[in-house]
Amino acid sequence: MGKKLKFLFFDCSEAATCCDKAQYEEANLFEKAKLRIHLALCKTCRKFSARNSRLTHLIKDSKLETCPEEKKKKWREEIKKEFAEERT
Amino acid sequence: MSANTLDPNKWVDKYSDYLFNYTIVRVNNREVANDLISETFLAALKSAKNFKGEASERTWLISILKRKIIDYYRKINSRKGKAEVKIKYSDDYNEGEWLEEQVADQFDRSAEDEMENNELGLAILDCLESINEKHAEIFKRKTIDGADTEAICNEFNITPSNLWVIIHRARTALAACLEKNWF
Repeated sequence: MGKKLKFLFFDCSEAATCCDKAQYEEANLFEKAKLRIHLALCKTCRKFSARNSRLTHLIKDSKLETCPEEKKKKWREEIKKEFAEERT
Repeated sequence: MSANTLDPNKWVDKYSDYLFNYTIVRVNNREVANDLISETFLAALKSAKNFKGEASERTWLISILKRKIIDYYRKINSRKGKAEVKIKYSDDYNEGEWLEEQVADQFDRSAEDEMENNELGLAILDCLESINEKHAEIFKRKTIDGADTEAICNEFNITPSNLWVIIHRARTALAACLEKNWF
């Protein structure tokens, strides 16, 4: 019963959120400990957690970058101006 | 029949990150990449009338960008532009630069196109295009830019718990999409 209560105390959706936070290193010690206990008991979440970490690694490996916002702003303006001229 | 239409005012929001990551692996220089993308957008506007709607907007922009990248390598490989190749056209009515104005959107999937699909970064961006635009933006700010939770919440006017729900959905969708298309 005690075990079960603990298990219910931290449900799967909470575990998922903690797991997401952990991917960004934003889970605190308490959350990490609770997550560990939950993972030990829940196979579905173990699967989810493994998949989630794999995604984190993939994103890291991809070396993706976004364009700086000031460039985007400049391009938006350029296009707007040119587009207006093209249509006249 | 034109299945695809052009919407230039959305190009930057929709495609600039994709174009940037496509370019950066090929020219390995941020400044050059930015210049090439800027040129691509302008060239695309000029040849918008040649867009027949056969390819998607992005495929078409990439085909223009490809030519810009090739052009860039021609220029740096030629001393004082000796080996520079200029493709011009002139007939009774018109005169101009082919590269700039005559880009059509033939839908040809070459071996190279297939290879591009195998680029992980582009595959990720590809998958992100299929989720809610704002959610994709938040996911990118958090995951690729590594922005603070608090900063993003202020930027998009959402609470931290909203943010984690959005991140969770984006990650789940992304993982499913990558499993289907990448592995």
